[in-house]
Amino acid sequence: MATRVTAVVVDDHPAVRAGVAYWLTGGDPPIDVVAEGEDVKVAWLGAGATADVVIFDLHLGGPAPAFGDLRRLAEAGRRVVVYSMRSDDDVALQCLELGALCYLTKAEGAGHLVEATRAAAQDRPYTPPSLAGALAGDRSETRPALSAREAEVLVEWFQSESKEFVAHRLGISASTVNSHLERIRVKYARIGREAPTKAALVARAIQDGLIGVDDL
Amino acid sequence: MRESATDSEEGAGPEFAADADGIASSAQTTAARDAAETATGSAAAHNAPGDPMPGPAAASTATADPAIRLAAAIRIVLLGVTAMIQLGLGLAPLLRHHAAYRPPVLADLAYATLAGVTALCALWVLRRKPLPVTVAAGGALVVLVASFAATAALPPDSFFREPHWSFGLVGWHLLVLLADRVPALLVALAVHTAASVTQFLLDGTPTRTELGDAAIVLFGVTVFQLAIAGLIRLLDRRASEAAAAAAERERLAIRAALADQAGHDLRTGFAEQLGATLPLLAGLADGTVDPRTPDARARCALAAAQLRRLFAENDDVPDPLVHEVTACLDVAERRGVAVTLAVSGDVVDVPAPIRRDLTGPVLTALAAARTRARVSVLRTPELVRVAVVADGDAEPAGSAAVPVTSQSRDGQTWMEARWRPE
Repeated sequence: MATRVTAVVVDDHPAVRAGVAYWLTGGDPPIDVVAEGEDVKVAWLGAGATADVVIFDLHLGGPAPAFGDLRRLAEAGRRVVVYSMRSDDDVALQCLELGALCYLTKAEGAGHLVEATRAAAQDRPYTPPSLAGALAGDRSETRPALSAREAEVLVEWFQSESKEFVAHRLGISASTVNSHLERIRVKYARIGREAPTKAALVARAIQDGLIGVDDL
Repeated sequence: MRESATDSEEGAGPEFAADADGIASSAQTTAARDAAETATGSAAAHNAPGDPMPGPAAASTATADPAIRLAAAIRIVLLGVTAMIQLGLGLAPLLRHHAAYRPPVLADLAYATLAGVTALCALWVLRRKPLPVTVAAGGALVVLVASFAATAALPPDSFFREPHWSFGLVGWHLLVLLADRVPALLVALAVHTAASVTQFLLDGTPTRTELGDAAIVLFGVTVFQLAIAGLIRLLDRRASEAAAAAAERERLAIRAALADQAGHDLRTGFAEQLGATLPLLAGLADGTVDPRTPDARARCALAAAQLRRLFAENDDVPDPLVHEVTACLDVAERRGVAVTLAVSGDVVDVPAPIRRDLTGPVLTALAAARTRARVSVLRTPELVRVAVVADGDAEPAGSAAVPVTSQSRDGQTWMEARWRPE
C-alpha cells in the first residue's frame, strides 16, 4: 500500500466525527481524515472532494434518511460507507441498492469501521454482521439467488461476529468466509439501479478472481 | 364554644366518612368471602337459608325467588281466610234469612258462584302458581256480578246488615283474585263498594240510623281490606328488595369464586413458569444451597433472568419476542457480561409458549456467559432463529417445537433455537 487511504467524515454530531477520526487515524496502517463536517458539502469541496472514502451519516439533522445525497455521491463514483444510527434492514438494503459499499450501524465498533473504510478504498465491499443479518433476512422479490452455503455464511456471521468461528463451524477457512461474503455482495451489486461504485466493485471481484467474466 | 364545636365537627367529618368507608368496604369483603364460602359449599346448603320447602320443588326456579315464594304464601293465606269467612260468616245469615231473600234462589246462586270462584282459585293457589290473567279478570267480573245479584236479592232494610253477607265476603274474593295486581284490585274494590252503595241508595231513602250503620260497616270492612292490600304491596316490595339483595349477594359470590379461581390459575401458572426459582429459594431458606458457591450464584442469576423474562411476557409491546429477549439480556448485563443484541427481519407473530421455548435456551446460555455474549434474532416468515454466542459452557435443551443446537469450542459456546411458523 504505497499511499495512505484518505477519508472524509460527514456527521452532524461533533463527538461522532471526533471519534471516527480517532479510530481511523489509530488504525494500522492509519487512515487520514482529510475533512469533516456536519454537511455533505464537505465531501464535495476542498480536501474532502478527493478523499478516497466518504463516511456518511444517513441521518443528517433530520428523521428522513438522506438517500438523495447518498445517490449523488455514488453516481459521482464516490466510495461511501454509510454509518447510521438505525439498524433498519430496509434502509440498509436500500443504501446498497443506491451504491453504498458498506452499511454500518453505530452499534458496531472501531474494528468494523476501519476494515470497511479500508475495503471501500480498494473498491471492495465489506459486510458487517448487522448487514449480513439484513441480507440473510432479505425476502424482497428482486433479491439475488444465494447458494445454501452463502446463506449459511451470512447467518453464522450475523450470529457470531467472528469469522474464525464461522470458518470453524462450517469447516472452511476464514478467507473462504470472506470470499463468500464478497461474492454475495457482487450478486447484490448486479441487481437494481446501476452505479459506478457497483461496477467498480464487480470489476474488482473479477480482478481478484472471485468471479469469472463468464459468470456475468 | 360554637366555633370550637363547628371546628370539631368539620374536623371529624371527613375522618368519620373515611372510617365509614373502611367499615363498608371491609364489611363488603367479609360478605364476599362468606358468599364465596357458601358458593363453594353444596347446592343444598346454598338454598337452605329461608327456604321453607326443602325437596325438588325448592330447587325449581319458580320458588327460588323469595318474592315469588312470598306472593304464593300470601295467596294461600288469603284463600284460607276467604273460604273460612264464606263458610263461617256467610253461610249462617244466608240460611237464617233464606226465606226473606227476593228471590232466595238468587242469593243461593250468588253464594254458590262465590264458592265456585274460591274453588277455582284453589287450583292455582294451592300449587303455588300465580293466577293466569284470564282467570283473575274473569273471576273478578263473576265475583262482582255475584255481589250485585246477592245485594239485589236482599230483603228490605237489610243493606250492610246481617243478611248482607256478600258485602264483606266479595272484598276477600277480590283480594285473592287480584293480590298480585294492586291497581286492578283497588279499581275492583271501588267498583264493588260503589255498586253496593248505589244499590243501597236506590232501594229507597235510608233513615239517619241506617245511613250511620251503613257508613260504619262500609268504613270498617273497606279500610280493613285496603289495609290488607297495602300490606301485601309492602311485603311484595320488601320481598323484591330481598330478592335483589340475594341476587347481588350471589353475583358477589360468583365474582369472588371466579377471582379465587383466576388467582389460583395464575399461581399455578407462575409456579410452572418460575422454573428454578422456587427450589432455589427453598434451598437458600433451609441452608442446603450456599450462596457463596459459584454454582449457587449461577442458579440465582438464572432464576433472576427467568423472573425478569416472565414479567416481560405480560407486557403489551409490538415485538414481544425481542422484548423478552431484551429482558433476558438485562440480567446478564447486570452481572457485568458485555452483551450485544442484533435483530434482523420483520416482526413475526410468535405464540407465548413458543417465545418461552425460544428464550429459555438464551437464558441458560447467558447465565453461563462469563464476560461477553452476542444474542441475535433472525426472522423470516418461514424461520425464526434465536442464537447466542458466549464465552461459557452451557448445554441448553430444546423442545419438540423449538429444536436447539449448540456447540462449544475453546470456552466459546454457540447455540441456536429455531422455530418454523406453521
